[in-house]
Amino acid sequence: MVGSTLGTAGSGKGGYLLMRHGGALWGVENAAVVSLTRGGEGGGRFLVAVGAGEPAGELGIDLWIDEIVGVVAELAVRPLTAALRRFWPEAAGGLAVHAEMPLVVVDPRRPPRALRGALPDAGGDVGRVGRDGDGEGAHRNA
Amino acid sequence: MLRSVDHGGAGPRTGLSAGSYLLVQAGEYVCALPLRSVRRVLRALTVHPLPGATAELKGLAEFGGEPLPILDLARLVGAPPGANPTYPVTIVAWVGPEDGRELIGLAADAALEVADVSLASVVAGDGGFILGEAPVGEQVVRVLNLEALGQER
Repeated sequence: MVGSTLGTAGSGKGGYLLMRHGGALWGVENAAVVSLTRGGEGGGRFLVAVGAGEPAGELGIDLWIDEIVGVVAELAVRPLTAALRRFWPEAAGGLAVHAEMPLVVVDPRRPPRALRGALPDAGGDVGRVGRDGDGEGAHRNA
Repeated sequence: MLRSVDHGGAGPRTGLSAGSYLLVQAGEYVCALPLRSVRRVLRALTVHPLPGATAELKGLAEFGGEPLPILDLARLVGAPPGANPTYPVTIVAWVGPEDGRELIGLAADAALEVADVSLASVVAGDGGFILGEAPVGEQVVRVLNLEALGQER
């Protein structure tokens, strides 16, 4: 893809969290991750709350993820092109490649609908890592 | 079978005839892509689906270390599905206006040949992506305008 690099996440923001959902690879800046919760038992899904600049303890936007892939220190992020926007009408922070896999960098203010999916099964949470100290402040998964 | 067309990274060439087109099979249609816009023809790249995309967008692939949107050429031109391709290809091509062109991949069933197409013989197009139809030998091909593809609707 021809385009300028928007930025790399090594620039003091702590890298990107990589996730898989719907057969695609997604990335979101670590700094935008408010909390990460394992989903219902047996569901194999995760709830990642993301936000952009909210004060500590504020709720983020929930993203439902099939799999947490890991964290990378940086990504060369390319802007979405007109041809892609024409056929994928979503907002995003850009595109990148990690380990020869293309991925979409999520805009934490406007995550794609595919990640804002159905509520989890009633299995409840089994482990949560939050940024708000007690791990519960951002919890809104009743 | 045309196995490799590589126009390098310098973008469209001007030395080629303006009427040179790469003919590709897309479903039951044969499409003509302006050769000056073709960057490379590859064995079909591995495509990763992109949830929420329209049917024309197969997903994303990696090409030269960069993300590349892959469009389904048969769907773009509304071609009925053909037989299972034995050597599917990805055509990496420049789309969009000259001052804002970008690379995309077109998934097609086969790359066939390079042929000259007289623009004067093109008829019945939509004036956009499908410039029209033209005779090439004993077949009718869909002549495509890739510049129109790189613009948001």
